[in-house]
Amino acid sequence: MKKEVFEVAKKEFQFIGILFLLSMAIFKIAFFRESFIVLFRSVLSLFWLFVLPGYFIMFYWREKLEFVERIVIGIAVAAGIIGIFSYYAGVIGLNIKYHIFLLPLVIILVGSLINVKFKNEF
Amino acid sequence: MIKIKIDFEKLLLAAFFALLLFIGPGITLNHKIMHDFPYGYSASDAFQHQVRAEAVKDAGSFRHDAPYISFGIENLVGRYPPVIYHLAVLLSYSAGLEVYDSIYFIVFFFTVIGILIMYFIIKNFNKNVALISLPLAILAFSLPPSIGFLWGHWPSLLAQFFLIAFAWCITNINLEKSYILTSVILAAIALTHSSEAAFAIIFAGLFFVVGFISNRLEKNFAKKFFISIILFFILASYYLVIFYNTWAKAQPYSFAVMPTWEGNPGFYLAGFGLLLLFILLGILFSLLKISSMHASIVFAFAMLISGFSNYIGFDTRAFQIRFFWPIYLSVFFGFGIYALLKSITKKSSMAFSIILFLLFTILLSGMIKLPFMDNKISLLGQEMTAMPHYKGSSSQGVMDSYHWSALKWLSKKSGHNSKVYFFYGDIYSQDALLRNSKRFHYQVDPKDFIKAIQEKKIKKSYISELPGDSGGRPVTRSGLFSFEDAMTSKPDEYFFGPQSICNFDYLVFDKVSQQQALAQYNLLIASELLKKDYIKKAFENEIVVILKNNNKGADCIEERSF
Repeated sequence: MKKEVFEVAKKEFQFIGILFLLSMAIFKIAFFRESFIVLFRSVLSLFWLFVLPGYFIMFYWREKLEFVERIVIGIAVAAGIIGIFSYYAGVIGLNIKYHIFLLPLVIILVGSLINVKFKNEF
Repeated sequence: MIKIKIDFEKLLLAAFFALLLFIGPGITLNHKIMHDFPYGYSASDAFQHQVRAEAVKDAGSFRHDAPYISFGIENLVGRYPPVIYHLAVLLSYSAGLEVYDSIYFIVFFFTVIGILIMYFIIKNFNKNVALISLPLAILAFSLPPSIGFLWGHWPSLLAQFFLIAFAWCITNINLEKSYILTSVILAAIALTHSSEAAFAIIFAGLFFVVGFISNRLEKNFAKKFFISIILFFILASYYLVIFYNTWAKAQPYSFAVMPTWEGNPGFYLAGFGLLLLFILLGILFSLLKISSMHASIVFAFAMLISGFSNYIGFDTRAFQIRFFWPIYLSVFFGFGIYALLKSITKKSSMAFSIILFLLFTILLSGMIKLPFMDNKISLLGQEMTAMPHYKGSSSQGVMDSYHWSALKWLSKKSGHNSKVYFFYGDIYSQDALLRNSKRFHYQVDPKDFIKAIQEKKIKKSYISELPGDSGGRPVTRSGLFSFEDAMTSKPDEYFFGPQSICNFDYLVFDKVSQQQALAQYNLLIASELLKKDYIKKAFENEIVVILKNNNKGADCIEERSF
């Protein structure tokens, strides 16, 4: 089971890499007046904040949903989770500047854990 | 070596994603992500949200509203739904963008993602219909629906992105543990723009009724939806307590009919022009197949009804839903064309759907304009453009670099407790932009200002407005469930009345105006003030001059006629 999960994830991570390059190209077309470094940081941020956490959340449903659909809906789910938990983390006193590292990381770790360890029991 | 199976559908989606980014944020933001000042902001509401996000970034959280936003009152509870501000600040930190760029960008970006989610919802119904439907969404970035972006209805637009994701969740409720996704998305809606949660419930209710009548309801629907609601309340409860004690009390539901949106170029069904025929056809075919109605169709009906809820008391909220009608109703458009062609040819072909997709993409994006498209026609008793197509805005908006540098100077160089007074400026009617000074501020009442010019008087005291944000009942919190109205303790004159200009630390004057007499009067007052040795020029550029009063409260100006 674990091996199967890693194999799928490994393959799909290559897709994510291609998706990143494709996104860079698309952003360069849409924002052709923008510098490469700003575009790179922007796309990288979108991937870190929304695409990757969304991917790890939606990985649970990999057998039912195709890759692109998981990525797209995953962006929405990740945006929801990060937006909500960033608000609550701020309310309890954790400055928002730390959330950009912590929240995506926690979602990725929890998503990985669920998919690797608990897929069958969860 | 990785092998990638690239099908034509994904290539089309990637190309369409690029097109949407190009004509949506691309054209509006002058094909840049980073700007020197808030670019493309066309109304006060846009600045209202931008400044609140700035305040969240400065404070590190949204526990409290910044005093310079809320009438100088300290410790007001952050009562606006917080998700949009947090997402904007996170992207700002992460991408190194200014908040004014990141907040605008995320609204556009998530709208584009919402269009792709809508595609997958419709694809779950029929792939041909999904492809034919897609081009209609282009109109969401065209005037008048794009007013939602330009005028700053951003929380509503972001909440509607989550609303589309909610429709996806309901469409896929048969997935194992789907209630996790449903509850998160529903909470995100409530914490982005709470009224959209009501529209989500309208959709879920309609979905349940149609499913029940047609006996096609997933057997665990009620159970899964109930679990979703429980989890939703757990996730949203902290904010919902605030919402209940602010917005729900300040703007309780009341039945009212509001046929038009005064002062706003709202979107009406007639705005679809001849395309409305296909949409009506889609509605007709859908009603004929009510027993097998797909969730995407139910969603479109729910949003059509919600868009007309201005007749039952939902006022502006209903008109905001219409900003996304080109996305929601696209399934009617696609289904109308598809069913019509199928009834004629008796078969469906993906190649034909792709041709239609390309044809409508070219026409609706305005790449090719046919002569008849801009003709005025009369349909259903209303005059309309024959075939709407993309009409974007590439204006820099209200702000300019001169005013922006003046506001930034105030926010960085003036003392934290300084009081700022804004004399007349053409752009200051969009008063939320003044909050970028990040200081407690008043502005002159233009009527009193013009009256003083007509009377040829220089005065010490002008009728002045405290331009804060009173939306949703500003409150302080005295306990977990107890809140106190913060406005009632202040007299009316605090918010609007005569103010001595000598009681301010900084006085801001515009040097140019479309009505130059107003700017000349500004400069006359400034020159009178500069006669006092304790008043100095603190900042000046081609458009704005800021004076610093180092002896606040002293008799700073001689009242006289000129």
